[in-house]
Amino acid sequence: MTRPRRPFVALILGLMLLYNLAPFYWVVSSSLKPPLEVIDFPATLWPRQATVEAYAKIWQQEGFPVYFLNSLITSSGTALISSLVGVFAAYGFSRFAFRGKLALMAILLTSQMLPGVLLVGPYFELLSRAGLYDTRLGLVLALSTITLPFSVWMLKGYIDTIPPEIDQAAMLDGASRLQVLTKVILPNVMPGLVATVTFAFLLAWGDVLWALCLIQDQARQPMTLGVLKMFGQFRVEWAQIMAATLVATAIPSCLYVLLQRYLVQGFAGSAIKD
Amino acid sequence: MRPSSGEDAPGADRRERWLPFLFVGPAILLLLAVLGLPAVTAVLQSFNLVWVREPGFSLDAYRQLATDPQFATTLSTTALYVGLVVSLHLTIGLAVALALNADLPAKWLFRVAAILPWTVPDVISGIIWRFVFDTLPGMANAILLRLGAVDQPVDWLGSPSLAFFGVVTAEVWRGYPFVMLILLAGLQAIPAHLYEAAAIDGAGAWQSFRYVTLPALRNMVIVALVLDVIWEARLFGTVYGMTGGGPGDATQLVSTLTFRQYFEFFNPAYASAMAVVLAVTMLIVAIPYLRVTMSRNA
Repeated sequence: MTRPRRPFVALILGLMLLYNLAPFYWVVSSSLKPPLEVIDFPATLWPRQATVEAYAKIWQQEGFPVYFLNSLITSSGTALISSLVGVFAAYGFSRFAFRGKLALMAILLTSQMLPGVLLVGPYFELLSRAGLYDTRLGLVLALSTITLPFSVWMLKGYIDTIPPEIDQAAMLDGASRLQVLTKVILPNVMPGLVATVTFAFLLAWGDVLWALCLIQDQARQPMTLGVLKMFGQFRVEWAQIMAATLVATAIPSCLYVLLQRYLVQGFAGSAIKD
Repeated sequence: MRPSSGEDAPGADRRERWLPFLFVGPAILLLLAVLGLPAVTAVLQSFNLVWVREPGFSLDAYRQLATDPQFATTLSTTALYVGLVVSLHLTIGLAVALALNADLPAKWLFRVAAILPWTVPDVISGIIWRFVFDTLPGMANAILLRLGAVDQPVDWLGSPSLAFFGVVTAEVWRGYPFVMLILLAGLQAIPAHLYEAAAIDGAGAWQSFRYVTLPALRNMVIVALVLDVIWEARLFGTVYGMTGGGPGDATQLVSTLTFRQYFEFFNPAYASAMAVVLAVTMLIVAIPYLRVTMSRNA
């Protein structure tokens, strides 16, 4: 343990709390204001009369239950495909030596570096030609592939920690490779698998670029897009927008806080161990 | 940490030869179809070969890029933005990681507060900060006016330099907790006896930080640095939700400009050329990370 001086620790933590929490304070306070007070100048720091009107409005009039459901469907689909395909690839990379393995792993890593704006235009054209523009399937395919390299990488790290002798022992007992994976490996990497699934879910939940370019119909748009589209309307209803940002953040915040340890291991595992 | 390898050495069961490809095949196919194909198409588009108005090989898009003042401005804005954001992430991330590594009461509460901004989707964070910096009903002005720091409301997102500062503030806020978590994991992995040895040798707090902590964190800093540069260089949502690139092009990044060229001005060749320049730059930046990671896993 380092032993930084007390005043240093207190100062840093104080500033950290101020910077980190002030915007959240502003979101909560604004979302509880009535429509007229929220555009008052200078702004009140806490509503004179708090109301949950804004939350009721976005839920009843703005279609947010639908956007919420869309985000849930898209993100779950992404998490499912990315982890399912990912777990097989991770096992393959972890357990076999084969021709072209290094090249394939390099492709995997490199594909993580490609910027979304490079891919989304041509992907949009591809989808239009395949008749998949403005469908959740087209969006889910894109998002699951974007999250795939990370899923494979993270899962490989977890599978690597299980000695291959265990696989051999199970196969001597007559298990097939597939059975080894499902009955021996997966139960042993459950925490890692849960973290991977969650992370893919969260990446999909936070996406806006791909949804913006691939989804047109309001009935299929996710939360992020729904909040963004609130600016295109006749008036900018800040109380409702702030309420919507809070709703859009609630699920990811809870999941991230629960799983942060695993995520750091996934990203930085190899660097820690050395 | 090096399982497998020997297992399929010569002499292993021949039926297992094709097995690895069954396992990794679906992932590779998906990557080739959904990422590989569009990436190749983007390159072809940038040379005016496919899915453009009048196909035919041409370097016009790149020529135009080289002389386009808007792209030059955007490129330097992006570089400044990435440089500033990433250095602040590392500085603030390290300071907070050091503080959180001390013995604290209710440590988990501080930890939760510390990572909270990172959990906000980027476009949502942009929208939140847009309202914080709003000229009339925004929080920044409400506080500054009350403190008497300014007499007139500041037009944060309406002035080019202040808008740039605003976007940097927003993205530093959202991004530094991740860097902090990586560095904190690194700090916790430093064995206590190193500090004891340093203390016996008469090292003070600064010296043990300089000669024990920093060298031990080296790998973590490299990982955090490279990942962060890549993420920030392709970031889209924060700026799109907060300023849309404005005022003028003051906060325009290569990512937002590419999006506009493709989907608003319908210049696929030009947009793709821009994105190719961005992608190639990022791949070059990523080389050290790729080398370190590949050599560890080979």
